[in-house]
Amino acid sequence: MRGLPILLQKEFREAWRSWKFLWIPLVFAILGMSDPLTNYYMMDILHAVGNLPEGFDIQLPEFVPADLLQASIGQFQMIGLLVLLASFIGSISKERANGTATLLYVRSISFSAYFISKFLVISAIGFVSAVAGFAASVYYTTVLYGNFEIGTLLACFVTYFIWLLLVIAVILMMSATFNTMIAATGAFIVIFIGQFLTILWDFLPWSLPSNGVLLIRDMMYMQDYWWSMFMTVMFTIISIAIGIVMMKKNTSMVKI
Amino acid sequence: MMEELAKIPWAVIAPLIVVQLVLMIVALIDLRRIHTTNGPKILWVLIILFANLLGPILYFIIGRKQS
Repeated sequence: MRGLPILLQKEFREAWRSWKFLWIPLVFAILGMSDPLTNYYMMDILHAVGNLPEGFDIQLPEFVPADLLQASIGQFQMIGLLVLLASFIGSISKERANGTATLLYVRSISFSAYFISKFLVISAIGFVSAVAGFAASVYYTTVLYGNFEIGTLLACFVTYFIWLLLVIAVILMMSATFNTMIAATGAFIVIFIGQFLTILWDFLPWSLPSNGVLLIRDMMYMQDYWWSMFMTVMFTIISIAIGIVMMKKNTSMVKI
Repeated sequence: MMEELAKIPWAVIAPLIVVQLVLMIVALIDLRRIHTTNGPKILWVLIILFANLLGPILYFIIGRKQS
């Protein structure tokens, strides 16, 4: 773990200079706002642009706060994760391709420290983003619909953040293993296509975000919850380990 | 006119507008500082200004060129 503080500083500065600490949380905030707002103003929107016939009446479903948080998490799961994927998939493979890595690899740094420093900084960005997204969604839901219970809300947030850690670990692992194009495809398949498996089983890592919402609804079968949590943490650790090994193995891919 | 403005629920709309403006301004500052972009710079200015929500996001994802 030699040089971890210095590498952390480098990664942090790089993320700061490219504004990633600012714009990714703002994107999550907008995503969090959009669902409570559009659902609340659905009637007005339909009247304004829906081209409804005269006297047409729709019964919109009555939402409880948990429904809106679930919708917001759905937005994070699609667009939010795509943004994370697009902005971090090159973090190791692009450095190899454009030669920055040469400058680093000739020094006596440990690969695990380098990988971990990247993971920690991106996780920090993920944390700020999740806070911003949840805050925006909860703010609008509280203003427009009703209150959350603070305990289960926090539990839901922590659950979602742990899922984000897995996503980040998978992105970095793919980036360490392949070149950028293949890595993007691989990470996309693992993160997005894997979500279809949740139809069949409730205890896989991919069902963790929806399990978090079920905690708020108080409808979660706790044994499944802890299983999905356990598997997510295991997958994260395994991904980090594979990532470090592959990073070391792929030093020959560095362009000089 | 003023009555119509007062009717808008500002407590609801204001945060959204603020976030959008901040995103736009940050993208423009970065565009001013950066050396080269993917594609002509003036095009990115237009995209950031007029594709109001998507513009800055697109700029940060594909427009920036890491040197």
